[in-house]
Amino acid sequence: MNEQELRSLVERMVLELAGQPAGGGKTAPAASTAPAADVDPAGCLEDITETDLRRQYLVEHPKNGDAFRDLKLRTPARLGLGRAGARYKTISMLRMRADHAAAQDSVFSHVDDGFVEKHGFVPVQTLCQNKDEYLTRPDRGRRFDEANQAIIKKTLGQSPKVALVVGDGLSSAAIEANAADCLQAIQAGLKTYGLEAGPVLFVKYCRVGASDHIGELTGAEVVCMLVGERPGLVTAESMSAYLTYKPHIGIPESKRTVVSNIHKGGTTAVEAGAHIAELIHTMLERKASGIDLK
Amino acid sequence: MAETLLSVGIDIGTSTTQLVISRLTLENRANPFSVPRVAINRREVLYRSAIHFTPLLSDVVIDAQGVKAIVEEEYRKSGFAKGEIATGAVIITGETARKENAREVLSALSAFAGDFVVATAGPDLESILAARGAGADEYSKEHHTDILHFDIGGGTANLSLWSHGELVQTGCLDVGGRLLKLERDSGKITYVSPVITRAAGHLEHAGRGLAPAAPYRIPAVGDSPTPESLAPVLRTMVEALEQAAGLRPGREKMDAFLTQGTRWEPRAVPVVSFSGGVADCIDNPPADWRAYGDIGVLLGRAIAASPAFQQAGRFRGAETIRATVVGAGSHATDLSGSTIFYRDMTFPLKNLPILKLTAAEEKGDAAALAQSIRDKLGWFADEGGLSQLVLALRGEDNPTYSRIQALARGVADGLAPLREAGFVPIVAVEADQAKVLGQALAPLMDGPLLCLDGVGVDSGDYLDIGAPVANGAVLPVVIKTLAFQKS
Repeated sequence: MNEQELRSLVERMVLELAGQPAGGGKTAPAASTAPAADVDPAGCLEDITETDLRRQYLVEHPKNGDAFRDLKLRTPARLGLGRAGARYKTISMLRMRADHAAAQDSVFSHVDDGFVEKHGFVPVQTLCQNKDEYLTRPDRGRRFDEANQAIIKKTLGQSPKVALVVGDGLSSAAIEANAADCLQAIQAGLKTYGLEAGPVLFVKYCRVGASDHIGELTGAEVVCMLVGERPGLVTAESMSAYLTYKPHIGIPESKRTVVSNIHKGGTTAVEAGAHIAELIHTMLERKASGIDLK
Repeated sequence: MAETLLSVGIDIGTSTTQLVISRLTLENRANPFSVPRVAINRREVLYRSAIHFTPLLSDVVIDAQGVKAIVEEEYRKSGFAKGEIATGAVIITGETARKENAREVLSALSAFAGDFVVATAGPDLESILAARGAGADEYSKEHHTDILHFDIGGGTANLSLWSHGELVQTGCLDVGGRLLKLERDSGKITYVSPVITRAAGHLEHAGRGLAPAAPYRIPAVGDSPTPESLAPVLRTMVEALEQAAGLRPGREKMDAFLTQGTRWEPRAVPVVSFSGGVADCIDNPPADWRAYGDIGVLLGRAIAASPAFQQAGRFRGAETIRATVVGAGSHATDLSGSTIFYRDMTFPLKNLPILKLTAAEEKGDAAALAQSIRDKLGWFADEGGLSQLVLALRGEDNPTYSRIQALARGVADGLAPLREAGFVPIVAVEADQAKVLGQALAPLMDGPLLCLDGVGVDSGDYLDIGAPVANGAVLPVVIKTLAFQKS
């Protein structure tokens, strides 16, 4: 094959790849429109995050697939993914990126105002003015300005036995998924112990330490804060409850009791709420929280 | 937290009566920052009794005083006081369970042995406890495999099939070492179990090869058999076991030995294991085949010689003759979930029957739930009216609070007739939601109330519930699967 022939061969191939028949003036049907006929314009793509990873096993021709599936049921870790050559399969890559995106979204998005309103929470805001400041200045996420201080005092009154607080924290998705059911369970549980909790505060740009300022302002005996946990790849909807007996500014972190992993795959919101109600009752009886309660 | 419970196991079997005392260690497996999850993380056998022959007054009556004397003596020798025993189980097994006074002996003994020592019986439970005592369930879990466990005692072989640690089925064959008893010195047969007569057709068939001219003579009282003349009996029994394990085609021999009122579906398994007195005779048979005055030694040898069993994988369990009693002592007691609710309760609660709703009934709204419960309550009423029972629910994975409230209203209303009759509302949920359900139920009714979770029970099971342990966080429970089968 001489140089001329080679050149024309390459030309022909390039043209074919570009969707034009070699040497022909006729235009081929545009490749991009062909598959469109199969796609339902009103439908959407399959939601790959709906798949339960504990049940997804991608290794081909496993020696003992049943045993691996058994192990997988016990961990959310991304195991048994199989591979394509040296790499993950496309589905694994996409799922990783989707979960990572969900985690980022829940950090950077806000709890819907409608959600706060619907459940009758009283909204306040820390010193932070936006998400960037919230993420870069943890100290400002623990304190309130004077206007907000006044709302807190007015809402909770002086020396309440229990103050219930919801804070967005690092996952708005966690709050929207769990806070309402959990609070209902806490409130009903407190009633069985003869305790009554007042209105619920909602704190925007909230760090756990905001509990201390609330305690300082109101003299609350127990502050119970439901707050969104820093999301991971397993779930972006995990919530924690931080309970502090007589919190005040400067109280050591060891005085806090925490119930973590409240989400649909961990401790469910309602059962956690019942547990928290009992914890609050115990704290009031023993007048302690954190390691002092052990 | 390292709280421990002392647990007793007592096994009154066809041929032997034994006792063990175990220590169960409780541990909170959850990290300190989450809801507690208390579990039993260690089970050690501290004391093993001698192996006593089960005292009988006659072929159909157990010597209750004799059994009590054995237990008393073994408690004394163990050095543990009755008051220290927190939990445990008495199980009456094999042919002994069919004696006239089995039930009375069992309940008297469980009351005598300790405050929360529960009475258990039935071939299902026996099969399960023996397999757990031998560790067959753990083996199948660890090795992700199926295993068929045989507990072969004097009167029965208890079968249990486990797949990846989960129980698949239990069964019982009337195959055991004491179906024929003989005098050790003279070698004369003193007892022939009716089972032998029942299987006569198969035995005659098997005996044809022995002496083709004359029909095979079924062993009878007064005969002086030799191992050779007994071979057809043993071969037929082993073939019944092989069929049960799916190692031999057909099921006619297995069916001939199937214990009345039980079922078994043969399924081929990669691994088998043996416990019970006969298991010792498989691997280490005594030289004298009449050593125990029965055919146990010959049965052990026959199993060992079976090509089918030789080819199957074999798991050698931690316990052989003591598997059932160790199962009763170390594995009968479980713990409830760690978030539970109870108010004004008196423990222990014993022998509570289960009222379970169907999955569809459970999904109903409050009114429908109440109606389903009321309808089913009628099943548990006899001439004396209602009796104490446990309402069992599956529960939902991630319920909303309003769903919990609806559930609470339905349960409170549905169980109202039970409360009016003077009984305590007890609810056992499978999913982790007892505390929230209990707190939701609490304002709807006065007086005692118990809500526990992590307990999977079915209609026909019985539940025993002990006093709270681990700072009141969990309840010891014993689930008795189909105890006292009606037959």
